[in-house]
Amino acid sequence: MQVDLDIDWADAIRAAFSEQGIFVASIAILIFGLIAGTLVWRIAHRYLREWGVSDAVEGTPFERTARGLGTSTVGVIATIAALFVYVSALILALNVAQLGNPDLFWSRFTGYLPRLFVAALAVIVGLVLGDKASIHVSERLKSVKLPEVSVLPALVKYSIFYVAALVALAQLGVAISALLVLLRVYALGLVILALLSFWDMLRAGAAGIYLLLTEPYSIGDRVRIAGSEGIVQEVDMFTTRVESDGEEHIIPNQKVFKSGIVRIRD
Amino acid sequence: MTGLGEFVDELVADADAVFLFSPGSSRYESFAEDADVVVVAPENDVDAASFVELPLEFEDLTERVRFGVEGAVDNGYVDEEATLVCVASVFSGGMDTVTRVRADEFSKSGVYDLFANSRAEPAVIRDVLEVAVELGKKGQKGKPVGALFVVGDAGKVMNKSRPLSYNPFEKSHVHVGDPIVNVMLKEFSRLDGAFVISDSGKIVSAYRYLEPSAEGVDIPKGLGARHMAAGAITRDTNAIAIVLSESDGLVRAFKAGEIVLELDPEEY
Repeated sequence: MQVDLDIDWADAIRAAFSEQGIFVASIAILIFGLIAGTLVWRIAHRYLREWGVSDAVEGTPFERTARGLGTSTVGVIATIAALFVYVSALILALNVAQLGNPDLFWSRFTGYLPRLFVAALAVIVGLVLGDKASIHVSERLKSVKLPEVSVLPALVKYSIFYVAALVALAQLGVAISALLVLLRVYALGLVILALLSFWDMLRAGAAGIYLLLTEPYSIGDRVRIAGSEGIVQEVDMFTTRVESDGEEHIIPNQKVFKSGIVRIRD
Repeated sequence: MTGLGEFVDELVADADAVFLFSPGSSRYESFAEDADVVVVAPENDVDAASFVELPLEFEDLTERVRFGVEGAVDNGYVDEEATLVCVASVFSGGMDTVTRVRADEFSKSGVYDLFANSRAEPAVIRDVLEVAVELGKKGQKGKPVGALFVVGDAGKVMNKSRPLSYNPFEKSHVHVGDPIVNVMLKEFSRLDGAFVISDSGKIVSAYRYLEPSAEGVDIPKGLGARHMAAGAITRDTNAIAIVLSESDGLVRAFKAGEIVLELDPEEY
């Protein structure tokens, strides 16, 4: 995700005007930049608000920090966008008027600017998204009153921070291959851990889908599964409940598949 | 106003516990400081230690208090001889009503037992009740209809009944509480026989003819065969039954052969 402005705007404008015209044009560009920047600031403000961004980031630490500085997340993003337009206009005007030497530094800086903007945006989005996700996860786990569970929201939060930091650093052109390797190892570890711990659940779920779709037995049938005999009371994704006198057998669905089903018709 | 003040003081004097119906958290905390408080609400928003879940928004205060008291006694929050003060909201808005009641003043109706100690989940029972009430309100083309829902212990119920026709719910996975059920309401009322619903709320079958032994089932005279079947099946199995009466339009819930709840759909 790299943005490049390769067209040489300054040269193009210079070719179109005479000597005095260039000076007037550069001032016009400055004024136009000022107006455009203000417009961008206003439009960003309005649309971010309309899209419900200000409601969505409510209560996250980033928003609170921004509030402490007398602004808000929406304000910060809008200001960055406006700043981007201001600085672009200023540099374009300087280049057109050839006040500063149009050397390598400036052309590089113009090329660099959009990336700086995207990097800042990535950091802000990452911070807000991470906090939001951690709040969401901890709310979902509220009913689980185990102290160990509080690790999960933090894990989610810092994972998102890490990815956001990687995106921002990549935009700035910093070498991140080592960090990328770390991310891959981490993701792989997560996948393996999830596969290992949810292996039985996955198998039960796959068997459960078949059982629910084809219904080889349904509620009320008398069956024998893996040695337990009784009346089927419930079939869901993961388990089958079979009840006989005073005993309820809860059988994982993969076991149903493995042992087969005996339907008893008297 | 001294007379009124004295009366209110007398009303709340030496109560064993305070029942708060759907309180705000600040209200709960100010009460919880100096009294035994039992919160009765649809959800435990205030993290109260003593909490009774209210599955239905009972319009009638007496029903609400009865449910709360039965729940609290059942959970052991209060004694059966306790004197209780209930703070509730009857008209729209905040807490506006204080009543004083003795826990043994109610003959035990088992309405709390119906929700909390049945095989089926409370949410499923609530959904079925809502479906029955909705059906009672609408009827079919303005004519009153009747319906019988048997909830829970579906395996046993299926073995004690036989199909009257093809089961329209075979190989379908419709649960009560799904939005589609409300759309199907009108069609529901055309079907004869009972609906069988499992513990988790799956609609197992329609068109079931129930064949329990009706021996020893005692329901009020004047109720028809539908209610008799409901009473009998709940005596014979661990299911509960919810009946919409065609003749008087009331919704009744049966458990263990007894009527435990009577609702008028028009008031609900």
